[in-house]
Amino acid sequence: MNNYETILIINPNLSSKVADFQKKFEKLLTDNSFEIKKVEDIGRRQLAYSINNHHKGHYLLYRMQGDPKNISEIETKIKYDEAIIRHLILAVKNLSGEDSVLLTEALESKNKKSESTEEVSDKEDSKDSPTEAEEE
Amino acid sequence: MKKFQLPNNFDYKNTDILKQFITETGKIVPARVTGISASNQRKITKSIKIARFLALLPYTDMHQ
Repeated sequence: MNNYETILIINPNLSSKVADFQKKFEKLLTDNSFEIKKVEDIGRRQLAYSINNHHKGHYLLYRMQGDPKNISEIETKIKYDEAIIRHLILAVKNLSGEDSVLLTEALESKNKKSESTEEVSDKEDSKDSPTEAEEE
Repeated sequence: MKKFQLPNNFDYKNTDILKQFITETGKIVPARVTGISASNQRKITKSIKIARFLALLPYTDMHQ
């Protein structure tokens, strides 16, 4: 049993159908005897450079546990799925149960849009101390 | 010199920390400039390269 972190970047045009995609992908993982510990739907995000002429991407993060033998099976499935514009499966030592920085950032910017003035001061605080982002 | 702040745990997702270690053109700042330990520099470098692959950081400022 190894710990894995999987990051998928989904085609932004299919962003609305991401729930269906997640169901399908989670089924694929469980069929290959992977245990999903945490799923993060980070949402649409600006890419640092364009991939296949997409300037935005829908990020998904999976933290999971499973057998290294089954990784290749999932890799091939991902490879032929046209909805996924980029993917990475990383073996990690420890799976953290906390929200990733990307998710907290995404939530923060969402709050910032809906509310207005108070959020600005909050964001400045978190820049000074990176640990605060993890606590939230 | 407090210019470079090291993270508690090295994570490719923490782009704010990693951005300190790249130049305006996207290059990784050499260890002789950052002044951090060789071991930490390797960890930072690895995280930056993963973040670049996932389009969290740019490879260069010349991207179309």
